[in-house]
Amino acid sequence: MFLGRVVGRLWATRQAAGLAGRKLLLVRPETASGREASRLVVAVDGLAAGPGDRVVVAHGSRVRDLTVGADVADKDIVIGIVDGHELQGR
Amino acid sequence: MILARVIGHVWAARRDARLQRAKLLVVRPHAIYEPAFATRHLVATDDVDAGVGDDVIICLGAPARASLGDNNMPVDAAVLGVVDRVELDADAMRAAGAAPGIKRPLEIAVGT
Repeated sequence: MFLGRVVGRLWATRQAAGLAGRKLLLVRPETASGREASRLVVAVDGLAAGPGDRVVVAHGSRVRDLTVGADVADKDIVIGIVDGHELQGR
Repeated sequence: MILARVIGHVWAARRDARLQRAKLLVVRPHAIYEPAFATRHLVATDDVDAGVGDDVIICLGAPARASLGDNNMPVDAAVLGVVDRVELDADAMRAAGAAPGIKRPLEIAVGT
């Protein structure tokens, strides 16, 4: 899993059946100290996250099967909305 | 498996129901890990009561779920053990640093 921040939502009219009705979020992965990665990931929202939220994203087909269902065509899933985190040391 | 150091905790009230009782740690891999994104950290579940500053063994993927005793946990990384001691051959640093696919040298500094 990794920490990231939801920076937006994504809609597509023409899309695979496996994405129909799914809420897609644009998540920018972060370093633990909050610095942002340069690339974005499109994740399926398994909870009710929205732009601005810091989230935990898990990856993989098994995680997908267990959370949003095996029929979804995305392997990056939001599994937690972060209230806070504490970092110590390096 | 990868060697990593625990650098923090995560709190998330809203999370997948199966994770309600899981402890989530932020860990920094020591070496030989090329994630899809340059996050320099991983979030892993912890069943062995590791704390900040500990060096731990992290397992990724299906074995991570198996280690939690529940294959239905929607996680992809778990702490399998707290490291007491690491011994490295003096040449290991150079050899590993030169291996194909490894982009940065080992930076192992295990706690005293």
